[in-house]
Amino acid sequence: MTAMKEFEPKIIGFLCNWCSYAGADKAGGAQAPYPPNVQVIRVMCSGRVDPQFILSALEKGADGVIILACHPGDCHYKEGNCRAMQRHGMLSLMLEQLGVAKERCRLDYVSAGEGEKFTRVIREMVESIRVLGPLQVTMEN
Amino acid sequence: MKTGIYFCNCGSNISGKISAEAVMEAALSFPDQPYVTTVGFICSEDGKAQFEESLKAEQPDRVVVAACSPRDHEGTFRHCMTNAGLNPYLMQMVNIREQIAWVTEEPAVATEKAIRAIRGAVFRVRMQQPLEKKLLETCPDALVIGAGPAGMKAAISLAEAGRSVVLVERTPFIGGLPVRFEDLFPAMECAPCMLEPLMADLLHGDHADRIELMTMSALVEVTGFYGNFIVKIRQKPRHVSLHDCIGCGECIAVCPATTPNEFNCNVSERKAIDFAFAGVLPNAPFMTEDACIRSRGDECRACKDACPMGEDVVNLEEGETIVERRVGSIILATGAGLYDSSRIAGMGLGTLPDVYDALQFERMLSSTGPTGGEILTTGGIPPSSVAIIHCVGSLDSEHNSYCSGICCQYAFKFNHLIAARLPDAGITHYHRELVMPGKEGQILFQHAIRNNRSSMKRYTDIRELDVSRQEDGRLAVSVKGEAAPADMVILCPAVIPADGAAELSTLLDVSRDSSGFFRELHGRMDAARSTITGVYLAGSCQEPMDIRTAMLEGMACVGHTLAGLQPGRMIEIEPLSAEVDETHCAGCRLCMSVCPYRAISFNTERNASHVNAVLCRGCGTCVAACPAGAITGHHFTNAQIMAEMEGVLK
Repeated sequence: MTAMKEFEPKIIGFLCNWCSYAGADKAGGAQAPYPPNVQVIRVMCSGRVDPQFILSALEKGADGVIILACHPGDCHYKEGNCRAMQRHGMLSLMLEQLGVAKERCRLDYVSAGEGEKFTRVIREMVESIRVLGPLQVTMEN
Repeated sequence: MKTGIYFCNCGSNISGKISAEAVMEAALSFPDQPYVTTVGFICSEDGKAQFEESLKAEQPDRVVVAACSPRDHEGTFRHCMTNAGLNPYLMQMVNIREQIAWVTEEPAVATEKAIRAIRGAVFRVRMQQPLEKKLLETCPDALVIGAGPAGMKAAISLAEAGRSVVLVERTPFIGGLPVRFEDLFPAMECAPCMLEPLMADLLHGDHADRIELMTMSALVEVTGFYGNFIVKIRQKPRHVSLHDCIGCGECIAVCPATTPNEFNCNVSERKAIDFAFAGVLPNAPFMTEDACIRSRGDECRACKDACPMGEDVVNLEEGETIVERRVGSIILATGAGLYDSSRIAGMGLGTLPDVYDALQFERMLSSTGPTGGEILTTGGIPPSSVAIIHCVGSLDSEHNSYCSGICCQYAFKFNHLIAARLPDAGITHYHRELVMPGKEGQILFQHAIRNNRSSMKRYTDIRELDVSRQEDGRLAVSVKGEAAPADMVILCPAVIPADGAAELSTLLDVSRDSSGFFRELHGRMDAARSTITGVYLAGSCQEPMDIRTAMLEGMACVGHTLAGLQPGRMIEIEPLSAEVDETHCAGCRLCMSVCPYRAISFNTERNASHVNAVLCRGCGTCVAACPAGAITGHHFTNAQIMAEMEGVLK
């Protein structure tokens, strides 16, 4: 245990119902612990994630947002994940223009069987936000 | 607003990590102070009864169930809500077992995370609206396109179940490709004999009155959607009444004009009015208008005058007709064809005599074919050596990257038939891979390798092969320059989708894969469903397959039709669909371009998009795409998702 309390980032995770939410459940079934920082919001498809949600999450106090989708080609709704990918690309540019490190919004792919990958991605996300520190828009210009 | 939180201990699975007392205490600070009730195992029979009783007694406006994954039990608890007289969509689950209790080491940390998640659910559920499943009247009947093995099986079985079927076939006959074959792998059954009972059933069986067969026809227009398609079918004139013709052939005998017979792969001629081939069903000739001398302005009515059944059987003036039908589902069984091997340099198809593709050779083997079943070179003598080249245009990134799956088996069937008819002929198989799966797949291969006149040569790339004509006039197949003579060469080309797949794909909005085959909704879970609701896929229009699989797929489509649409039963439409607020729609139509199910149409009069709730599957992609915020994704509205975020971040 370190004496100084580490910064615990608050992260919102948008998980699609069919692949990544099931992947998170799979990690749960394996009872393998991972950092508690990500609060999951279930959506039917990653294509439902409006870039506005991410801006809103950051504004409401989240230090990062992670969107987890089905692997390309595996989307339950055929191509919703491709839309998520396009919107994420656009949002990354916008975040940088706003002075927010684009790493604060990550898009990744987790299938229903990838419980281990889910825990790895969550761990990586938490670590990367920990390194970035609390979100302070004016500080990151 | 009264909200009830039901906290499942799940034995100690949840309560061992997350403190229910802490949740109760935290709930005091939630909006309107929800009540919190703990249940031992809420999904057990006792637990559900306790939950329902409590709901009836408390009459909450909104309910949160903090338990396991909604993927497990959302349906269970929605059902309990309904039983208690509450709208099931006024309940929100929180997954505090799989995603918190089981994966968070410190109980205090787990409890804090659970409180955040439950607060998010409380915030969210307050925004949720009661939703109702809509009901829609439907037509239980089906359109089947393609009267090959898959389509015939589907049509007969649907008729047997009491459904009316419109069966549309492009050619003048039924039976598809195999009806033109002599024998079938793996058991060397006579193909027409095997198919004939099925075809007879279709035309004259106990349920035939429910099957409307339209030959020489094609789908030309589709409107509507699952349960209520309106289809238009264009029927080319046959000029012979299927109803009155007795198939005597008197009209054929007197016809003065001939034309290459495409049903014999153009290797023989037929009359302008003729059968496609002998023994064809329906047993009635058809007229090829372009071949009739009347098309050149000559006067002729020889066929009409020769008919012993009267004036009305042959109709020289018959024109194209378009008929309209209403059906609930559509089964695509349009079949396959062969890749044009003349596109592969060095194979000699179309440029050298005695080089045939598999379909042409099937016709030569057939007793109803151009040689009456005799295997003869163009010189009129039996070949003393035959080369069979496998994998022509398959497993080849320049042509078709997939394995066609059925060619090896029919290639060894050819071996069997050649060996039986010409015992002295040498047979060489040139193959890249050998693929003969299944419990019967090896039978004909074993037979071929026991034939001491057979030999196998493996090649690695079709470009190593060259079919040429030697100075003595014989053919030769060379592999990397090493030539072996042959009197006849048979090519086994890749199996490709039949002509017309592209047009149907456009008409029905059904996706195709990179090879042009119709795409399944899911390759393993839902292989008989297309990407469009109510449009099903059977047979080799979906991928190369044998007759057995095609027939099974036909039955799979029947299963979907019977299960999905029942006479007198309405279909339930999931309320988790998108809805456009016309007053906010700017008419940009971006939603239409992102919808994976073509569920959105545009009403030009109202200048607004419209979501068809029957076709919408509730993914919400259009909701996120709409720049005007005019689309609501029911049960996943912006307000609900924003409220949940606010709750978990507070």
